[in-house]
Amino acid sequence: MILTPYQIVVPLVSALLVFYAWSLWMRQKKTMWETMLWTVFWGLIAVISLYPSLLSYIALVTGIKSEVNAIAVISIGILFFAVFYLIIRIEEMEQRITRVVRKVALKEAGLDREERDK
Amino acid sequence: MTIAVIPAYNEVTRIGAVVRDAQKFVDTVIVVDDGSGDGTAEAALKAGAHVVRHAENCGPGAATMTGIEAARRMGAEIVVTLDADEQHDPKDIPAMTGSLTAGNADVVFANRFGGGNTIPFVRRIFNAIGNMVTLFATGMWVSDSQCGYKAFGPKAMRELQLKMSGFEFCTEIVREAAHHRWRIVQVPVKVIYSEYTLAKGQSFANGMRTAFKILLRSFLR
Repeated sequence: MILTPYQIVVPLVSALLVFYAWSLWMRQKKTMWETMLWTVFWGLIAVISLYPSLLSYIALVTGIKSEVNAIAVISIGILFFAVFYLIIRIEEMEQRITRVVRKVALKEAGLDREERDK
Repeated sequence: MTIAVIPAYNEVTRIGAVVRDAQKFVDTVIVVDDGSGDGTAEAALKAGAHVVRHAENCGPGAATMTGIEAARRMGAEIVVTLDADEQHDPKDIPAMTGSLTAGNADVVFANRFGGGNTIPFVRRIFNAIGNMVTLFATGMWVSDSQCGYKAFGPKAMRELQLKMSGFEFCTEIVREAAHHRWRIVQVPVKVIYSEYTLAKGQSFANGMRTAFKILLRSFLR
């Protein structure tokens, strides 16, 4: 079996992300369930990249066979991750604003004693 | 000390009665006014509640966490959270806190489907979907995962840290229970559905957005 660079890079990245997920579990930042979901997802990505023939029936249905179509699919994939990244950033900013609102609310209610003591 | 936490957003017509009813069963009532523009905070103060005000509307999850944080700082051992729209009956508070005071549970979930309540069919469907999404995201089945009526014991209060601001917080609490291995008890409660509470409930679009956020968060965490 001759592996293309794509078939080497994707499983490596998948393995790295699975390893990262389990390290988060070790540090008690992820639950076992979430880690399993993450492992299954990236495991599937790795398997599909190693054995793309598994998706041949999708290719038959959608007709993604030519190079031009492959470029279109990759572009959609990149855009998908860009949107994914933006959603994460927006979520983080929303959380920061909420933290500020909550801190101010507790301070105005005279309940910031704990923070002053720290 | 047992404290009731009531997150409220534009509930001026209801909050006074909810505070007065809750006061009969707890030591203190904290109302978190989540950026209301209708005098909810003033009505809660008048009824005798401690009021913590959000300058902006952040969502029920953020308001609940602010209330729990305030209760921690006021020295609460048990916290009960309930809705501000008179949907939950404060008379159920003793049943909710019973397992906590006996030391048999860390968190108590109310179950609106466990008693003889008349619940609209659409609500039952929405709740079933909410339970399924929660099961997928947390691996834990709770009969009424999306109900805001909950009680937290000392261990749960100490460890609870909500990050989700909106209605997703209900699922996040189940996730916290699984993560910290809290002992769970589910108690059947009375629920009062009126035109008012139904109108204030989540729409289908809102429910879909909540489900999307839950799945995204559980995946990205």
